Amino acid sequence: MPSESVRSRAGLLLLVSCLAGSARAGVSMEVGPNTGLKSWTWRHDGVSLKLVQRLPDQTRAYLLARGFSREAADMVARNCLFGSMFRNDGDQPLDFDLDDWQVLHEGEVGRLVTRQRWKERLSSMSVSKAGRIAFNWSLLPPRQHFEPGDYNWGMTSYGLPPGSRFDLELRITLGGKPLVARIPGMECAPEKLPEKEK
Amino acid sequence: MKKIFFLLLLLVIFLPAAAIEPGRGLTEVPGHPQAPAFTLKDLDDETHKLADYRGKVLIVNFWATWCPPCRAEMPSMERAWKKIKGEGIVILGINVGEDVDTVFPFTGDYPVTFPLLLDQESAVEGPWGVIGLPTTFVVDPHGRIVYRAVGAREWDDPELLAKVRALKKKKSD
Repeated sequence: MPSESVRSRAGLLLLVSCLAGSARAGVSMEVGPNTGLKSWTWRHDGVSLKLVQRLPDQTRAYLLARGFSREAADMVARNCLFGSMFRNDGDQPLDFDLDDWQVLHEGEVGRLVTRQRWKERLSSMSVSKAGRIAFNWSLLPPRQHFEPGDYNWGMTSYGLPPGSRFDLELRITLGGKPLVARIPGMECAPEKLPEKEK
Repeated sequence: MKKIFFLLLLLVIFLPAAAIEPGRGLTEVPGHPQAPAFTLKDLDDETHKLADYRGKVLIVNFWATWCPPCRAEMPSMERAWKKIKGEGIVILGINVGEDVDTVFPFTGDYPVTFPLLLDQESAVEGPWGVIGLPTTFVVDPHGRIVYRAVGAREWDDPELLAKVRALKKKKSD
């Protein structure tokens, strides 16, 4: 059972998150009260993208169970992965291409590590065929078309070390019109979450 | 150490599956293209060919055990199967990239009675245009893809099933 002070702190964090979210129209951040993991949600006209931190150990456990060698699992796990839930609950078709998105980190512009890039990086590493197939499908597709009511889940990878901070500039086409938005102040999950107070 | 591993395992298993809201509706596929042929085995080693189902309406669901929305929609798919079975409508679940030793235990937690086919080589999804899981298609009795759903749905939703049943009535088109 979490102590009173931990619960108070989680509640305060949630409150601060909500306030911060409302101040930056369209973006909110929250901390999972049970997991301590941070998530960012961007919303626009019924479209939403929720990005939830994944601890490197979560990814290692997932990949090791699917035939990745320790080296390969560790390499992937330390590349800043987020669980990504992209939904089109609006009334216009949506298209996205992750290769157009930008990762803004310490003055540099980077790209997401998408399916093809992972395929190349893992080509010479020890990974079972079933592991390669599962990992490929568990990544958010680089390009996708959503009709109203469609959605997809998958991991996205930002190619930064654990604990890095960055802004994400996302680009989509909504109802045929291009749309650019920014999610500021995102954080890759740290290698380990801080110990909770007793 | 064991406690930490157990907590991590719980995170991996349950966190992504928490509060999955289904998508809505079926999107009509322009031009109703012919469904690409496949020959796959089910969990009992029985062979299923797409051509075996000509004359029936087919719901073809591409899924995997590790995919939280796929798991979320399985119970509604089973409920739908119980409603439509015997009406000339068939549900086929095509598992992507996993073997029988992975899929069979899954059916202990998610009991389904419609055929689950194994595409271990992940060879069928490409021709069908699947790029994310779950993706589901509704095929008419002539073997044409009429509807597509990207993401999970409540498959026993009466409105959704009415669209599927309507294809059966149009058999003579």
